[in-house]
Amino acid sequence: MKTILILMSLLIFGIDNLLLGQAELSIEEIMDHSRDNQTLSGSEYVGTLVIIDKKGRERIRKIAAASRRYEKEKVDKRIIRFLEPADVRGTGMLIFDNDEGDDDMWIYMPALRKIRRIVSSDKGTSFMGSEFSNADMAAEDTDDFSYTLLGTEDTDGEACWKVAVVPNDEDIADDNGFYRKIMWLSQNDFVARRIIFFDFYDEPLKEQSNRNIILVDEKNGKYRAGEMIMENVQNGRKSIMRMDNIVFNPAVKDEYFTTRYLEKQ
Amino acid sequence: MADIIIRYRWPIIIGFIIITLIFGLQIPQAQIQPDFETYIPEDIPARVNTAAIEEIFGGTDVVIILLETDDVLNLATLKRVQLISRHVNRIKGVGQVLSLFDSKDIRGEDEMMIVDPAVKRFPRNPEQKEVLRQKLRSNDLVYELVVSTDFTMTAIILTLEEGLDDQTIVGEIESIIAENPGQEKVRIGGMPETRLSLQKDIARDFGMLMPLALGLMLISLFITFRQLRGVLLPLSVVIMSIVFAMGFHVWLGWELSILSILLPVMLIAIANDYGIHLVASYQELNAECKLWSKSELVKAVLAGLSKPIVLTGLTTIAGILCLLTHLMVPAKQLGVSAAVGIAYALLLSLFFLPALMSILRRPRPVLADQRQQRFHLERGLLFFGRAVAQYPRRVVSGAIILTITIAGGIFSLEVDSNIINFFPANHATRQTADLINTHFGGSENLAVLISGDIKDPALLRRLDHYESELEKLSDVGNITSIATIIKAMSRALNDPDEPGYDQIPDSREAVAQYIELYNMSGNPDDFEQIVDFDYQNAQLIITLRNPDASAIKGVIKEVKKLMEGDRDVSRLGGQSLITAELSDIVVRGQMISLAAAILIITLMMMLLFRSAVAGILAAVPILMAVILLFGLMGYFGVRLDIATAMLSSIMIGVGVDYTIHFLWRYRRERQEGLEYRAAVLKTLTTTGRGITFNALSVMVGFGALIVSLFPPIKFFGFLVVMSIFSCLIGALVLVPALCLVWKPRFLEPH
Repeated sequence: MKTILILMSLLIFGIDNLLLGQAELSIEEIMDHSRDNQTLSGSEYVGTLVIIDKKGRERIRKIAAASRRYEKEKVDKRIIRFLEPADVRGTGMLIFDNDEGDDDMWIYMPALRKIRRIVSSDKGTSFMGSEFSNADMAAEDTDDFSYTLLGTEDTDGEACWKVAVVPNDEDIADDNGFYRKIMWLSQNDFVARRIIFFDFYDEPLKEQSNRNIILVDEKNGKYRAGEMIMENVQNGRKSIMRMDNIVFNPAVKDEYFTTRYLEKQ
Repeated sequence: MADIIIRYRWPIIIGFIIITLIFGLQIPQAQIQPDFETYIPEDIPARVNTAAIEEIFGGTDVVIILLETDDVLNLATLKRVQLISRHVNRIKGVGQVLSLFDSKDIRGEDEMMIVDPAVKRFPRNPEQKEVLRQKLRSNDLVYELVVSTDFTMTAIILTLEEGLDDQTIVGEIESIIAENPGQEKVRIGGMPETRLSLQKDIARDFGMLMPLALGLMLISLFITFRQLRGVLLPLSVVIMSIVFAMGFHVWLGWELSILSILLPVMLIAIANDYGIHLVASYQELNAECKLWSKSELVKAVLAGLSKPIVLTGLTTIAGILCLLTHLMVPAKQLGVSAAVGIAYALLLSLFFLPALMSILRRPRPVLADQRQQRFHLERGLLFFGRAVAQYPRRVVSGAIILTITIAGGIFSLEVDSNIINFFPANHATRQTADLINTHFGGSENLAVLISGDIKDPALLRRLDHYESELEKLSDVGNITSIATIIKAMSRALNDPDEPGYDQIPDSREAVAQYIELYNMSGNPDDFEQIVDFDYQNAQLIITLRNPDASAIKGVIKEVKKLMEGDRDVSRLGGQSLITAELSDIVVRGQMISLAAAILIITLMMMLLFRSAVAGILAAVPILMAVILLFGLMGYFGVRLDIATAMLSSIMIGVGVDYTIHFLWRYRRERQEGLEYRAAVLKTLTTTGRGITFNALSVMVGFGALIVSLFPPIKFFGFLVVMSIFSCLIGALVLVPALCLVWKPRFLEPH
């Protein structure tokens, strides 16, 4: 009897210790891991963006994209080119996502055979007319938000940290288009599995679920969500971003990130 | 029948009270419906088309916040605008917001496309302020859209999703404005505010007009009868019939419209007529036959009055039921509810009042007092009677000349159906609407649905052509369509000296790429109102500066002419089209209901007197009153609108009573052997008195409408008083003159 009690208490303590071991990570550490695990030094992918309206009609865009981190210049360079639908095939965008200051952006329109630089102080709330905001598609600036660990919770069978994210001031809130959000970050790979955005009435606005998490860079342990689904629970619209093919490539050609290349078919 | 009433007097009294209470309990559930759009049936083309367009693009309801100050580019004002726009953006159900800070400044410069908020940063000194002013002047998305040409006003325009509650949205905006105070004068405009304001004023009118009309009725009853009973008995009939009619209206599931304001006032004016006659007769007999019992008195009263009361009641009900020929839903409802109320008043007067009178103690006789009171009236009637008897031909020709002269006004009669014109010129809602119309191109609109391959450059060029043609019309404010946006993109993507600048591009691919580019930098909501998801339907939204139906029709005509033969133009809709359609419905309803009322009343008169001439004789004073009514409306500039269109049916139904009373008595006097002139004089000095009191009480009741908050209702009150007066003069002067000139056979003793 005694031994059983001892065994049981050992077991309980053991489990407890195990849990504590993970819970010991501070919220800052969790967020740093999360950001770190998703920063790729370079990649190429072909993706599909499906935009679905509330009546269930679909608009499908196929894009090819490449990105590379230039640590010295403190800039992420991205190039995106439309493959489908046919009438916009070849339309391209070149974006320099500067760590500090405004971004630089050029577009190429094959029908006009012309490059135009876009200077926009308004980043726009929507990514290519989808339910994703541009902010949703880029890495979050952790200085702009306050994070609180709400506890642990399973989502889709994955053990997660439940984290509340609140913008630090009203301008940031307006730019990002939400009052607060709650994220479920995997305890395994630190990639979010589920995010609920709340509007300024603190009511659910949209819900993002990330599936098919791909270990893109095995050596450095870098992950990407292979499929992101964003559902606007208020207007019934839905968008799906799928990585059909993603390749880790830290040495994407510099040439790709030039306006000259943008013009090439 | 009188025996039965007296035998079952208690069950009758209690029965009526219970029925009244049962229907009265419905009244608290009444809902006020201020939206004119719902006043016309759903299957009318304008509503079908508008609904079909809204099904694709959502509603076009907007709320407009206007800020006025000496210069909107002052720092304090700009800061306030920024704060207010930031907060309204967050209101649930608010879609696109246009303001100095939300609207964009899209331009091309040095091979760059620049997208900025219209006001990017606050001007720090007078020079920067003037630079900003210049920039805003050249920005199509801002100038005359969110800032007035003289920069004294700026607008924040909120596009609303469907299904929002007016009260909630306007309330939230009001509290945002209160939380961000400043020097500027702030006004809220747009349909939600207009409906709310109308709803508020309708409720206020109900609360104000009914007590006033009742008060006036009490005073006139007291002057007439000089006895509490003479006041209370007709009053009980009026109140019970109002409660019954309103309860009946609500019980049928009908909402209270702006026309429902007329219902209680109509009943106050009309429902007491029957009671007045009963009380008058009761008082007369009470003074004359002192030895009769209460029951005998009641029987005698009923024996003398049942028939004329039923007859005049039926003609009034028939006239008012002619409102059913209107297409407007609230007009039909008013016709039914008022007819039901009058029928109930008739039943109350024939059963409830006699039952009550047979229970109450006999009052002291008051005839002597009354004689004193009526002395002047009698002299007047005698004077007119003599004049008519002496110069009947002159009276008839005078009436004809007067009618023809005033008939000229009919040609300048105007029609109006806009909800905003129901407010007086000094009303905040109306003033805000006027400001929006003069400085911001208007908030009401026409919508053209284009169905086809929207990315086709040929189609877009046609749209662009329509826009530039329609923009030349002075009543047109702003026009928005996908072509507007494509052209704006072309200016941003090409330099002014390049071929594609300010043009719809040549290829479908280029159009698709412009749109894709816009999608990348904008918000999906921006497009939702002008093009559908599959690019198969587009909407051309034309705002109008002039809210009048005639102006709207002018624009509609141009739109139809311009787009004739374009197979991609599939529907015309919008709130303004409904307003235009409503004006046609008002005119058509007016004509049909007028014809129906005259026809029915003429037929009833023919049946009643068993003579075709009787019908014509009764129709003459009515026709004259109708011509005078519309003529005067034309001369005084009172427009035919949804309220004044109710006039003629009510006037005919009520006004014919006086002719009936006159002819009824005149025939009796002739049958009793009086020669023509003596019969006229006798009738005028006896029944003429009753007719005058009857008409005066109707005029006093309707007169209360003059204090209504709504000018059309005020005019209605004024015109109905005038019309009843002309019916009265018709019955007391013209009809006797005609009788003397024509000597119709149906009035002769057999």
